[in-house]
Amino acid sequence: MRYFAFLLLASSVALAAPDGPKLYKEQCARCHGDAGQGVKKKYDDPLVGELAVPQLAEQVRKTMPDDKPESLTKEESTAIAEFMHAAFYSPAAREKNNPVRTDLARLTINQYRQAAADLVGSFRLGTNKWTDGGKGLKGEYFGNRNYNNRQKERTDPTVAFDFKTDPPTSDGKYDEHEFSARWSGSFLTPESGDYTFVVKSDQAVKLSVNGDVVVNALVKSGNQTEYTATVPLTGGRVYPIRLEFSKALQGVKDKKPKPVAAFVRLEWKRPHGATEPIPARYLSPNGVPEQFVVGTPFPPDDKSLGWERGTRVSKEWDAAVTEAALEMAAYVIKFHEQLAGINPKDPADKRGPKLKEFAAKFVERAFRRPLTDELKAVFVEKQFTAANGDTELFLKRVVLLTAKSPRFLMREASDKPDAFDVAAKLSFALWDSSPDAELLKAAADGKLKTKDEVRKQAERMLTDPRAEAKVRGFLLHWLRLDVDRDLGKNDKLFPGFDAAVVADLRTSLEMFLDEVVGSKSSDFRQLLKSDEVYLNGRLAKVYGADLPADAPFTKVKLDTGKRAGVLTHPYLLSSFAYTDHSSPIHRGVFVAKGLLGVGLKPPQEAFSPFAASAHPTLSTRERVALQTKGANCQSCHTVINPLGFPLEGFDAIGKVRAKENDKPVDTTGGYLTRSGAEKTFTGPVELANFIADSPEAHAAFAEQLFHHLIQQPVRAFGPNRAEELRDSFTKSGYSIRALAADIAAGAALK
Amino acid sequence: MSFASRRQFLRTAGVSAAALPFVLNLQSIAAPATSAKKKQRLLVMFSPNGTVPWDYWPDKSGKDFELKAITQSLKPFQDRMLFLKGLSNRVKGDGDGHMRGIGCMLTGDILLPGNIQGGSDTPAGWCSNLSIDQEIKNHLQAKDETKTRFGSLEFGVMVPDRADTWTRMSYAGPNKPLTPTDNPYQMFKKLYGRKKDNEVLASVLDDLNADLKAVSGKVSATDRQLIEQHATFVREMEAELKADAKVKDMGHKVPELEAGVREENDNMPKISKMQIELIVNSFLADFTRVATFQYVNSVGDEKMRWLGIEEGHHTLSHEGNDNKKAQEKLTKINTWYAEQLAYLCKRLAETPEPDGSGSLLDNTTIVWTNELGQGNSHTHDNVPWLVVGGGLGFKTGRSLAYKNVPHNRLLMSLAHGFGHEVKSFGKKDLCKDGPLTDLT
Repeated sequence: MRYFAFLLLASSVALAAPDGPKLYKEQCARCHGDAGQGVKKKYDDPLVGELAVPQLAEQVRKTMPDDKPESLTKEESTAIAEFMHAAFYSPAAREKNNPVRTDLARLTINQYRQAAADLVGSFRLGTNKWTDGGKGLKGEYFGNRNYNNRQKERTDPTVAFDFKTDPPTSDGKYDEHEFSARWSGSFLTPESGDYTFVVKSDQAVKLSVNGDVVVNALVKSGNQTEYTATVPLTGGRVYPIRLEFSKALQGVKDKKPKPVAAFVRLEWKRPHGATEPIPARYLSPNGVPEQFVVGTPFPPDDKSLGWERGTRVSKEWDAAVTEAALEMAAYVIKFHEQLAGINPKDPADKRGPKLKEFAAKFVERAFRRPLTDELKAVFVEKQFTAANGDTELFLKRVVLLTAKSPRFLMREASDKPDAFDVAAKLSFALWDSSPDAELLKAAADGKLKTKDEVRKQAERMLTDPRAEAKVRGFLLHWLRLDVDRDLGKNDKLFPGFDAAVVADLRTSLEMFLDEVVGSKSSDFRQLLKSDEVYLNGRLAKVYGADLPADAPFTKVKLDTGKRAGVLTHPYLLSSFAYTDHSSPIHRGVFVAKGLLGVGLKPPQEAFSPFAASAHPTLSTRERVALQTKGANCQSCHTVINPLGFPLEGFDAIGKVRAKENDKPVDTTGGYLTRSGAEKTFTGPVELANFIADSPEAHAAFAEQLFHHLIQQPVRAFGPNRAEELRDSFTKSGYSIRALAADIAAGAALK
Repeated sequence: MSFASRRQFLRTAGVSAAALPFVLNLQSIAAPATSAKKKQRLLVMFSPNGTVPWDYWPDKSGKDFELKAITQSLKPFQDRMLFLKGLSNRVKGDGDGHMRGIGCMLTGDILLPGNIQGGSDTPAGWCSNLSIDQEIKNHLQAKDETKTRFGSLEFGVMVPDRADTWTRMSYAGPNKPLTPTDNPYQMFKKLYGRKKDNEVLASVLDDLNADLKAVSGKVSATDRQLIEQHATFVREMEAELKADAKVKDMGHKVPELEAGVREENDNMPKISKMQIELIVNSFLADFTRVATFQYVNSVGDEKMRWLGIEEGHHTLSHEGNDNKKAQEKLTKINTWYAEQLAYLCKRLAETPEPDGSGSLLDNTTIVWTNELGQGNSHTHDNVPWLVVGGGLGFKTGRSLAYKNVPHNRLLMSLAHGFGHEVKSFGKKDLCKDGPLTDLT
């Protein structure tokens, strides 16, 4: 049967293949226009969509032409569909015809989480304020077991105490057998993910994170001295934390115990980290309000273009949005008196107006623009009436309707943005969240009209922890370190290179990135030229620096003259390496694609690297040269290899080596620039200097930052936008912060 | 829509198994599997501070016994009752009498050393074992035919808001006490919250659809696609919510709770009734087959002012046998607890199983117990264990008298009743004689 159909199809094609373009013109163009653009008063909308040819053909056959459906043969409708699909209908055709436009997008997962937290948080004073960061927690010490009779208050950089049988502080009066202590303040999350908190103590302890008791070990039982709790948190946000510690027998107090020893430690394991005492740089002694955290998991966002986009919706996404809306409703109901400023003693006739006022503000802030009377009537008044005096029901209706509305979920799409669009575009670019009160006020006051005005806001916003997290996230993406890589190495070759070292390396890199971005000049070139590395005692031991074993992170000159910024940072070098050997190809691809923006095609098939054991006399460089010498390979590897070879002076954990297999390593390399200049360099410092001053690298950096912040193709913002950004980057002395402000302000005003 | 067809639908719709729980959490998805085998349920009820032995234990053992003052209200269920006199908590170890009384009651094992000091005994921490209700829950949850939405539910009435050895009787494992839910509204939310949420969700969908349409009209044709896709999913959700509502209407009705009952001593009778209503309904809907029901806590000092008793229960329980007035009050208090049990039995007995296999009480074994035998001696001997109802195949309508038998053997019997033939439960040397022999 199938054979027969094939014959039939083949013969009909051979006889008279229907002419798609001709048929379209005859049958369709009068209503849909020559290029599917539509005809006024006939069929206005353009013919665009996602259907594949066979599906489209079937739709055409069944429904068209309007006056005579099913009059076309299968072959004819297929020919029309093929033509439409290729000419204007399919996404690919649209990209070809009209390659530069911004697409309507929904909030990405991170934007949803941030915006939801800020929406609820906007009704509390001081949400997400990061002050005195880096000092540690407030420590209070009490003369008895019940947290009164305070003897001492101070700031403790970390909570890691072994009191033995002594009183907790040298000054103060403490009972011989019992005392208590409380550490409180806030902590900053460097990135989104699961945070595991670990309390270690042999006494009664209770830990609250973001207002929830996550460890309740007031009862000490058996040998358990370690308590853990994992909390999913959003990055760039400041949450309250409190640890209570009581050394005493609890319960009925009618017997004097013997003096016992006591210890307490507060540790965490952050995403990409190892368990460690929470470092002081993430702690502040100042309290902040708790925050709403969306716990619902969302399906992952599309990252196929190299940046997160919310240009697709799915059933799972919609279901997750519903779950999250219910979560938000439950939270708002739980805290509604506090959020709406209702006094528990307020009578019902006072509560109603306060609830409505709260609801109107809630909807307005969710929608990021003043609430029209029309919307207020639906989103507030109508729901209030429907709830018939039931507070919970009213709030649930308002929150569900608001949190499922496209006005909250969809990003600003207008081609002619008003001041509130500008505000929202700016805040999503820099914070992945809704505008704050100050930005909304600027919009209302007509102070977001000029680029200078918008830039000024952008500069203010860049000092916020959400912006810092977003920029740090970008730099890790620029370095291709935002994906989880296995950094496990061969134990025998690299003893001591364990999970703790890997976590320390990541910390070292992040501290360096933060320092460069946060410095006055915020100079991109410093990322590549700095000859210093942050090391602690553990890393110093591995990389051969002279530091005490328990030294905290300190900036040191490592391997003088052989290191240059991120390019030689051991975290990056060990990421682009195998378990035993360096990988000039991974390193070269990273330099070419990531740093210089060279377009490279993936190899035609997957290759395993030649095994070193099969070529015992060859160096890594020689093996790579041997494997990639074929003509097919060379088109790309002539670019890749000479950009990876200058880093051959570092082994698989990024430690300096002068020799491999007892032969001196060859670190010469080169690059043919797009302007045709032939560059050669020996070793990492020359390579790094070349990249730091390369217009190609500046353009690549600016374009990637644009995509990370704006999440739309840069060409949609003008054919020369990328070049303009590079030029302004150059003019600002390569200031990363200035570039970010420039990108965000420019895109907001487009 | 049946379980199978729902799964089929989700598969067709391309929703991965991992995403399943997020598709509206529709209750029909979590609906229990039906099974040809008879349902078996266990409910452990706790009240504190020991009993008044002479007003509690029947004088005679065997079939021919008479109910004493405390249990008079249970008369209609006498043939469903089984008194188990002579069971002793012989676990010993750290902790005071009340702590060990409640902590070892369902676990049969010692408390771990710790920092909770009671009286002049050694301090202790949590129990070193899981409790029998959780052991049985794990057994039932491991099999598809007995698996339920919650596995077990822990109900409470006026349990103090502090977690310590005196306030916990169920353990999911060593050092893992379970917190009973003593707020009926909170329990209601746990049981029915999602259904209510879905109802509200369904009721705002018209406004949401109108909003989607309005926004859709404002954007370009290309951008409109995204909004329209979103609108399609909302319409699909609407259809699913409607289908789900139909499924539930064929089940039982959601119980109505009296609104605004605050958690305070004098509301104990109301809260008790509300919780009983939720227990009955959880069994009826097969949300769970194992439950615990904890009144206050060991050492509970509740004041039964509605009975004209102004003193706290624990305070009274220390009074000597010769203090007639105090003992009368203690009898009254225990009588009130027995009445709660009687009401629970009545509700279970008058509620038929949905599958027609008798009443809920026919398939539910209730065990009423206490942390002590008697309050003024703090004895762990002759702890008042009373079984009511069917389900585990115990021969009821009897009063049995053992002689200082470790209560671990009864815990084993409960597991065996579910076909879970544990070789021991809790402290091993107390289990060597196996489950109680003359129950079935």
